Amino acid sequence: MDLQPIHAPPTSFFWKYILSTDHKVIAKQFIWAGLLFLAFGGMLAMAIRWQWAYPGAEVPAVGKLLFPRSGGVITPGTYQSIFTMHGLIMIFFAITPLMIGAFGNYCIPLMIGARDMAFPWLNAMSFWTFVVSQLLILASFGVQLGTAAAGWTTYPPLSTNVGTPGMGQTLVVMAIFVTGMATIMGSVNYVTTVIRFRAPGMTYMRMPLTVWGLWLTAILNVLFVPVLGSAALLLTLDRTFGTQFFIAGAAGGKGDPILFQHLFWIFGHPEVYILILPAWGIVSDMLSFFARKPAYWYKGSVYAMCAVTVLSAVVYGHHMFITGMNPLLGQGFMLLTLIISVPAEVLFLNWLHTIWKGSIKLPSPMLFALGVVFVFGLGGLTGIFLGTISTDLYLHDTMFVVGHFHFTMAAASFLASFSALYFWFPKMFGRTMNESLAKLHFWGSIIGITLVFGGQMVVGYSGQQRRLYDPYQYTFLSHLHGLNKATSFAAFALGLIQLVFVVNFIQSILMGKKAEKNPWKIGTLEWETDSPPAYHNFDVIPTVIRGPHEYSNPEVTKLLGRDWLSQTEVLPEAIEKDAEAAE
Amino acid sequence: MTANWRIQSAMSLAAGVTATLLGSVAWAAPIPETGYGLPLDASLDGHRIDWLIKVTMGFVVILFVIMCIWMAAAIIKHRDGKHTAEYDHGNARHQIRFAAGLSALIFFVVDGNLWANASIDLNTAFWNFSGAEAKPDAVRIEINSHQWAWDARYGGPDGKFNTKDDVVTLNDIRVPVDTPIILELASADVIHSFYLPNMRIKQDAMPGMINRMWFQATKVGEYDIACAQHCGTNHYKMKGTLTVMSKQDYAKWAAEASANGARVYSEEDTGAHWGWDWKLN
Amino acid sequence: MGTVVELHPRAREEFTSSLGMIVFLASWAMMFAALFFVYGFARSKSLSWPPPGAPSLPVALPALNTAVLLASSATFARGLRELRRGHRSAFTAMVSVTFGLGAVFLGLQLLVFRQVAASGLSLGDGIYGAVFYAFTAFHGLHVAVGLAILLWVLFRSRGAAHGTDRGSLPFSEHNTIAVRVCTMYWHFVDAVWVLMFFTIYVL
Repeated sequence: MDLQPIHAPPTSFFWKYILSTDHKVIAKQFIWAGLLFLAFGGMLAMAIRWQWAYPGAEVPAVGKLLFPRSGGVITPGTYQSIFTMHGLIMIFFAITPLMIGAFGNYCIPLMIGARDMAFPWLNAMSFWTFVVSQLLILASFGVQLGTAAAGWTTYPPLSTNVGTPGMGQTLVVMAIFVTGMATIMGSVNYVTTVIRFRAPGMTYMRMPLTVWGLWLTAILNVLFVPVLGSAALLLTLDRTFGTQFFIAGAAGGKGDPILFQHLFWIFGHPEVYILILPAWGIVSDMLSFFARKPAYWYKGSVYAMCAVTVLSAVVYGHHMFITGMNPLLGQGFMLLTLIISVPAEVLFLNWLHTIWKGSIKLPSPMLFALGVVFVFGLGGLTGIFLGTISTDLYLHDTMFVVGHFHFTMAAASFLASFSALYFWFPKMFGRTMNESLAKLHFWGSIIGITLVFGGQMVVGYSGQQRRLYDPYQYTFLSHLHGLNKATSFAAFALGLIQLVFVVNFIQSILMGKKAEKNPWKIGTLEWETDSPPAYHNFDVIPTVIRGPHEYSNPEVTKLLGRDWLSQTEVLPEAIEKDAEAAE
Repeated sequence: MTANWRIQSAMSLAAGVTATLLGSVAWAAPIPETGYGLPLDASLDGHRIDWLIKVTMGFVVILFVIMCIWMAAAIIKHRDGKHTAEYDHGNARHQIRFAAGLSALIFFVVDGNLWANASIDLNTAFWNFSGAEAKPDAVRIEINSHQWAWDARYGGPDGKFNTKDDVVTLNDIRVPVDTPIILELASADVIHSFYLPNMRIKQDAMPGMINRMWFQATKVGEYDIACAQHCGTNHYKMKGTLTVMSKQDYAKWAAEASANGARVYSEEDTGAHWGWDWKLN
Repeated sequence: MGTVVELHPRAREEFTSSLGMIVFLASWAMMFAALFFVYGFARSKSLSWPPPGAPSLPVALPALNTAVLLASSATFARGLRELRRGHRSAFTAMVSVTFGLGAVFLGLQLLVFRQVAASGLSLGDGIYGAVFYAFTAFHGLHVAVGLAILLWVLFRSRGAAHGTDRGSLPFSEHNTIAVRVCTMYWHFVDAVWVLMFFTIYVL
């Protein structure tokens, strides 16, 4: 009895494409689910930007269709639903499925040399549970009083019946709970698979950093998503069963609204690292792959990511500095938060050292990876203003925060997702994407991102609060209209440039050039399989003998005439010893 | 390949320049009506925050520029075809020492500066309530926030809240210049956040809790009071005016307002008596 | 780090399944930990507990219930041991007893609910009332799910042990993985209850 037996692939359409237990198919399902909601969330962002450019003006072209009752104008009520759902959809229904659902599923088994996940059925259930949560989100738009409107953080009492009566908010809170369950199912699988299904010789310190990032993310998901689950559960009880966990004040409750914020951010801060750790892993690998140079201080990167994983659990208080927190507690959280910059700096230095003295190729995955370094540099550095209490007194809840987390969570995560998509596309679909369109997509995105989120930071620095329907009501913000308008146009351009990706993606799937087995000349395990891989991935489970970043070893170049080495290749003993020593 | 290369270099230069421009624009001093930057500082302690923000922004810009130059130089110097890549795992002891040491250095300088100054500022200024309370002329105001307005209550001549001589205003808070103003914040419905951009402070108003904040205005004038926490449909309209008056003007206004308040005071109107006993004396 | 201890394939598979369950239960434990955090937070901020005017909770009946649930854990563990030795009828007997004890627990819990409701505490009575009803009901839901799992185990224990596809084979000494994983879940639900009993009822 083999631990990972080879099964015959399913033949009927239903078992092959709908209820498949193949991690590669589930990954593609997640890609489609994520990209569709990414488009949806992106359009909501466009609506927000329209409102900030032309407050209260009729939305051109689609306004009358979408908002018939107000004559095509976004009303304050609609506006709050739009920004609420933009945040929720992007975080839980776009980045999470793309980054974790798709690439977690695709990369983990292939990169560690497994035939599938440890629990394939659980994996399929995870996806379909996720679809249920997406349907709940869609349904919430159709009910009376509209969808959720309490902000993505759903702070009570605003998110209870006191502030947002109606079915929409309830459905959305339930969707968060359900998507949390889907995430837990997926993450239990990832954690177990990495521990148990690594191919012989694939030690932890030989795993690609992508797998490290995804694995640490899965661990954080396993531990902290249930906390969000509890918060969503209690909030649902408050909304539907008349409990009073979070309702207080003159509305007649004896509960405690701050309690929800604790639960939310105990989850919420790990969540930002949940979204960024896979990106860090992917970037660390890409920079090495395309600089054709071993990843600089591999173990340092691993330790840094582990340190961030641990620290992420103990810094959540910095989201609550101005809620009336105990001063000593606040200062403790401030110190812990600032300490996170140490592992982040280690990581950045490793990235910069990796490309230094490399032989840098700049295909689209590498461009996107470098783009991540750029935007995460901007986003990460501006984070220290918000982790410090006194500067946060001024900057808290301003657009500065919005710009900061868009650079880190949105820009960095999505650029890393695109990097991964362009990189593994040949493996996934067996075809090649158009490289020119990919580069156009990159340059459009990186410039657009810098302008849009940079513009947000500047207005936030000038004091503009987030989530304002019409910021120019305030005298101290009235002069920001011009800048906001310019930022909006940059945002529209950023939205439009994504069409290049859509065209390229669909066209390449349908009629892209057939891909080779290993088009990028990379040594990790997935490139030893066919493009696309067979149902069971590996005919024989590979035996790993070295780390994932063996590039430009002069001995190898002399012997084999190429600058890369697979993780499984056996070489004459002399060279082998050199490599061991280097490791 | 080379044409492609040139385009890419130009594009990356454009991205870098944009970021640098945005950074410097943001850093610039505010020019009313046209400039972007921190709004006018009209408070005793706001300069502490401004200083810390600007110094840290300086560090951040330096680090970011170094990073960009490093990346650009690497891409230009070490691009494909120029030479073979160096086979270096970066795990020699001196390399590790360099990376760890540099990280620690940046941490101690940049974050250390933030940590030390923030701690000092909080303990001596922003969170130093006992200092403000000790001043004999300190003005105490209770703010009851609700969707979507700020109710303010002054204790009046007797200094006690919920009495006949209270001054109650709506979205209109008047304070004397050069005097500590202590606010206690409550909320009747959802969470609001009392934000005074020109004083560089904000504090959440939570239902079921009383929070406090204090500031001291240094410039006479009218300033915005804003809500910083999403609080429902008309969050954006939850706007008030903070009027900083000379001490004489304020004394005159307070006396008149208190007399007016006493005239319309009614024992039965319980809804109007939302004040609470001052929590922190 | 690199050495892989060679185990018999079935032992390796069993290890994988148990590990998956451990990871899952760790996750679920965090969910309950969040609930206990709510309880601890609310309680630490309250001047007296129960809050003034709220009735205190009964202890005797819940204590009995704790004993019932602990007994059910013991019987289920015993059942697994019997199964491993190949005593299939003793196994089904033990699982049936476990099921019975679980059902008794739920029944008694309903009785506790009635008793508490009669003493004047309702679901809408601030955090105190909400914590009591919501948390114990949420735990009860887990017991109910456990009962469904036990029924499934009983169902899967019938029939002769031959064939090749283990997915449809009845449980036997050659096929214990699923039962073992189920016992882990049941013990976990038990452990959570013991914590709940001591925090919510006793302290």
